[in-house]
Amino acid sequence: MTAAETKAETKAESKAEAAEVLISVRGVVKTYERGGETLRVLDGLDLDVKKGAFEALMGPSGSGKSTLLNLIAGLDRPTAGTITVGGKRIDELGESALAKWRGDTIGFVFQSFNLLPVLTALENVTLPLLLTRVAAKEREARATTALRIVGLEDRLHHYPRQLSGGQEQRVAIARAIVNDPALIVADEPTGDLDRKSAEDVLSLLERLNKQLGKTIVMVTHDPAAAERASIVRRLDKGQLQ
Amino acid sequence: MMIPLRYNLRSLAVRKTTTFATAFGIALVVFVLASALMLSAGVRKTMRTSGHPDVAIVMRKGSDNELSSTVESASINVIAAAPGAKASTPDLPSSSPELVIVAAIEKLGASGVTNVQLRGVPEHGMRFRPEMRIIAGRAPAPGQDEVMIGARLRGRFRGLDLGQSFEIRKNRQARVVGVFEAGGTSHDSEVWMDLDLLRTSFSRQGYVSSVRVRLSSPAAFDAFRAAIEGEKRFGFMALREAEFYEKQSEGTSIFISAIGSIVSVFFAIGAMIGAMITMYGAVANRQREIGTLRAIGFSRRAILLSFLLESTSLALIGGAVGVAGAMAMGFVKISMMNFQSWSEMVFTFDPTPQVILTAFTFAASMGLLGGFLPAIRAARTSPVEAMRGG
Repeated sequence: MTAAETKAETKAESKAEAAEVLISVRGVVKTYERGGETLRVLDGLDLDVKKGAFEALMGPSGSGKSTLLNLIAGLDRPTAGTITVGGKRIDELGESALAKWRGDTIGFVFQSFNLLPVLTALENVTLPLLLTRVAAKEREARATTALRIVGLEDRLHHYPRQLSGGQEQRVAIARAIVNDPALIVADEPTGDLDRKSAEDVLSLLERLNKQLGKTIVMVTHDPAAAERASIVRRLDKGQLQ
Repeated sequence: MMIPLRYNLRSLAVRKTTTFATAFGIALVVFVLASALMLSAGVRKTMRTSGHPDVAIVMRKGSDNELSSTVESASINVIAAAPGAKASTPDLPSSSPELVIVAAIEKLGASGVTNVQLRGVPEHGMRFRPEMRIIAGRAPAPGQDEVMIGARLRGRFRGLDLGQSFEIRKNRQARVVGVFEAGGTSHDSEVWMDLDLLRTSFSRQGYVSSVRVRLSSPAAFDAFRAAIEGEKRFGFMALREAEFYEKQSEGTSIFISAIGSIVSVFFAIGAMIGAMITMYGAVANRQREIGTLRAIGFSRRAILLSFLLESTSLALIGGAVGVAGAMAMGFVKISMMNFQSWSEMVFTFDPTPQVILTAFTFAASMGLLGGFLPAIRAARTSPVEAMRGG
């Protein structure tokens, strides 16, 4: 193999590697003004998340892990630095373009489930599809499939108050995957659940990652939850350790 | 794409107490406005239906009602024979000279007296108006101190009921021998008697207030009017009867609409503040839900529209209750002064489609205005802050 061939192969390899990166965070700074003081929550942070990864972000309270998750999910904007997800610079997007991007790209799983209490499980799961051009019948079919994936096909018409915490979180996961998003972000998904329900939810996330190839970034305090992830990253004082 | 309306409607159903209180406040405002507009429409309808398109009314030039008009008896035949007038037949007389006077009569169930319109008509006065019919008793006999009363007066004034007597003027008693119906027109609020009885009672011999003339067709009015008003020695004017009654209703109708609208606008300010407080409460209580919707991808505009729809729905629920209440007023007859004739008339509430549309539009406007600022607050909610605080 000549030197030129070796160089070309290395270039091709690094290109392929680069193509696998779904999330690229470069020099991200995030500051907040609190009581006249400037808090630097993230301090020039760099991060790459590969497509199909299941990553856990851990760290003490105030370390900036939820802030980082919100930035990756396009819920918040960095004070400085760039965030690219799926090849798109989301820190440059306007308000409505960012909302549309979130609808197309991100599936959210929250600690407190955040289901709309006046809508049934099926209606909650259908919500993200209202932002697409999918016809009503097809929306219902897809939402039903998502609920079947999370094992709740017999709870379609139940309201959140009629479900257990674990079931609520599974509905939330169904809502997160119904749009077939490129990325699922989960903020303390097991924080409000008992051990058994937490295990079920983590197994579900694991299955979504392994069987459906979903990229998952999860913030957690729970080491048992972090163990399920393929990569665990630790944040402290706004920096990855 | 919009947030489904059922989300808003079910959210309203969840907050039963505040929803009920706000809707009730709006219902009251809409009830007041719709009632006033329905009454105003009732006044216009009563007066409008009193006129026939093929009948002209001749009065003294410059008079704005029959009370202030005088037409000499000597002119009656000339007026009745003017070009455009229809020839008389025994069944359908072509003219009706009439005298109109008001009498102060004690009102039942209230203190004091009020004016009631007395109409003296010739013997064929009822035949001139074929829609009139006697529903109790009989027609007054000429030369007798007898009267008949419109159905809407019955039992509302002392002495104005079948078989009872009242004073036409001091020391001149007349007995009620009949009750008539005139198809909901203003005549239903009048006392009718022989023309000569009224003339002699008030010393008006030689005069009438007006002469009604049946035209050969509605199109003949212009020729008739030209003939009447062209004769300068008379000093008369001719109006279409329908136009005359339309003008008679104008003052009262505008007065009711204006009072109703002014009161409603003041009430509406209170109701809008109520709706605003309710919607601010809704936005504050549903921060997490708003944050979630924003996170999922719903735009600020979708959130704004959703909360505006919610406040408008709330107002329309109140509006529907208010309109229903006002429509129930359709069973009520209201006795009030007609400012043109200065006499008491009985009107009903007329729920026209236009009134109902106006009432609902007013309700929706209260919802939109009351919900606007809270909806802006909801739309500006940051998803991160909402979920942190919610």
